[in-house]
Amino acid sequence: MASTLSDLMLNDRGFAFDPASGETFQLSTTGLRLVRLLQQGMKPEEAVGYLVGEFEVDENTAWRDATEFLRALEQLGWISA
Amino acid sequence: MHTRAPYTRPTVQRLSQGPVNPFRHGASPACSEIDGVTVADLVKQHGSPLFVYSENTLRSLYRNAHRAFTRRYEDVQFAWSYKTNHLNAICRVFHQEGSIAEVVSGFEYEKARHNGIPGNQIIFNGPHKEKADLERAISEGAMIQVDNMDELLVLADMAKGRREALPIALRVHISTGGHVVWSKFGFNGDDGEVQQIIRRIIAIPQLRLIGLHTHIGTFILDPEWYQIATRKLVGLALEAEAMGAGPITYLNLGGGFASMARLHYQYLPPEQVTPAVDRYAEAICDTITGMWPANRPLPRLYLETGRALVDDAGYLIASVVAVKRKSIHDPLQAALVAYGKNSAPLVAHGSQNALVLDAGINLLYTTTWYQPRIFPVKPCLDAPVPTTVYGCLCMNIDVIREEAPLPNLNTGDQVVIHPVGAYNQTQSMQFITYRPAAVLVGQDKRVHLIRKRENLEYVQGMEVLPAHLSGS
Ligand SMILES: Cc1ncc(COP(=O)(O)O)c(C=O)c1O
Repeated sequence: MASTLSDLMLNDRGFAFDPASGETFQLSTTGLRLVRLLQQGMKPEEAVGYLVGEFEVDENTAWRDATEFLRALEQLGWISA
Repeated sequence: MHTRAPYTRPTVQRLSQGPVNPFRHGASPACSEIDGVTVADLVKQHGSPLFVYSENTLRSLYRNAHRAFTRRYEDVQFAWSYKTNHLNAICRVFHQEGSIAEVVSGFEYEKARHNGIPGNQIIFNGPHKEKADLERAISEGAMIQVDNMDELLVLADMAKGRREALPIALRVHISTGGHVVWSKFGFNGDDGEVQQIIRRIIAIPQLRLIGLHTHIGTFILDPEWYQIATRKLVGLALEAEAMGAGPITYLNLGGGFASMARLHYQYLPPEQVTPAVDRYAEAICDTITGMWPANRPLPRLYLETGRALVDDAGYLIASVVAVKRKSIHDPLQAALVAYGKNSAPLVAHGSQNALVLDAGINLLYTTTWYQPRIFPVKPCLDAPVPTTVYGCLCMNIDVIREEAPLPNLNTGDQVVIHPVGAYNQTQSMQFITYRPAAVLVGQDKRVHLIRKRENLEYVQGMEVLPAHLSGS
């Protein structure tokens, strides 16, 4: 059993603890930013807009990478498809 | 306007191995310059991929190794093993440092002569020496290390009619108890074969045995094996003299010292595993001095050290051309499936980073044995995560490293692969793409092109078109 995204415990260095499974994870800087934005209830499209605003990345690349990242979060059961 | 932070991909990595360290976030070792020249400049000038050699490292590896031996033994001579890296600039650095040449073919012999090495400063080794090459070697006074009986008989024939006997050395293979004996080369030093050959040589007046050679293997991590090999080689030398062969004036202990590379099965890092050259020197020199009769001058000691002198001086710069994710499976489940204990389809347990570089394993022959280190060029704040690094060839086996610790890299980023100085130039093959250029970073930080990037003209240069196919 995995937690939902809002239950995840995070620190500022990207270390994540899933209280339901007891597993630990490492998020990259941008991964952490996305998870935090999603935890605030932001939609993925909006969150990607923030990435483009804050990091040196173009929209297409950010979308490609974010799509893969969201798939990984689905696989972990943190978000639903 | 605020500035944007450097971008790395968003990823999440399950922490399943080792102690949990929430502070691992923050540092991936990077390599942004080589000997004070930035990788960015090297790529701008010479393109990617690019082999880079450090003249400083070449010279300091040589000096360090030479000093380790001369501190313990008076008459030491290094011979640069051309097969390890035959780029003329590299060979000439070693020749300038005082190395003579060790060659194993007519081609390498020609190369050494072209580099200004006189025949009498060439050690001629190898299991196949063409007659014409042997004739040239004899006429120029090269040190021939005889590999087999056929070669011995050819030499006996060629030496007929000489005024003085032809000096030769025998290549011997020896068991150290620890490693697989390289019995392909030379005569057996453990079962009496060498003694039998020595008797034969004594009976041929136009030949004269003056040296014994052994090369026990390569990447030998235990200096004790050299002690055992040296003890046996000295024993054979003294026995040969007692049999009436005349004075044995040199011993050649070949190559085989380990570099700072990391083998596939090697758990500990090279810093903890690779012995200092001093330990090899001690094993060899102390054994000879301890056994050699006190009233006789010590024999000259030759060393043909290859990879330990050049590996760490070589880098390959390559560029990321694509980033991918690769599914990974639960190791326990994968093992059960592999042993037929589980018929359920393998479920992805997660995924890991993968990248494709613009260089393939055709340039990196040593990845067969080594896990090279792969550094990002840009310093990166992300923690390194296991990353599969693919080459650019259309072959599934083209994996440069299965699990390199790397931060999230982007297309267009550069990486530096190290150490790659030994055997990769000489054993690389042209396949699918042109082989890259090679540069030498001089001690004054000047960058010298030492091999041009290949082009169509070079690759096709040796082809000949039959007349009926040559119309356009
Ligand atoms: C006869 C001989 N000498 C020297 C060498 C150099 O060996 P290494 O690179 O292990 O020092 C080799 C390598 O195969 C060899 O065959």
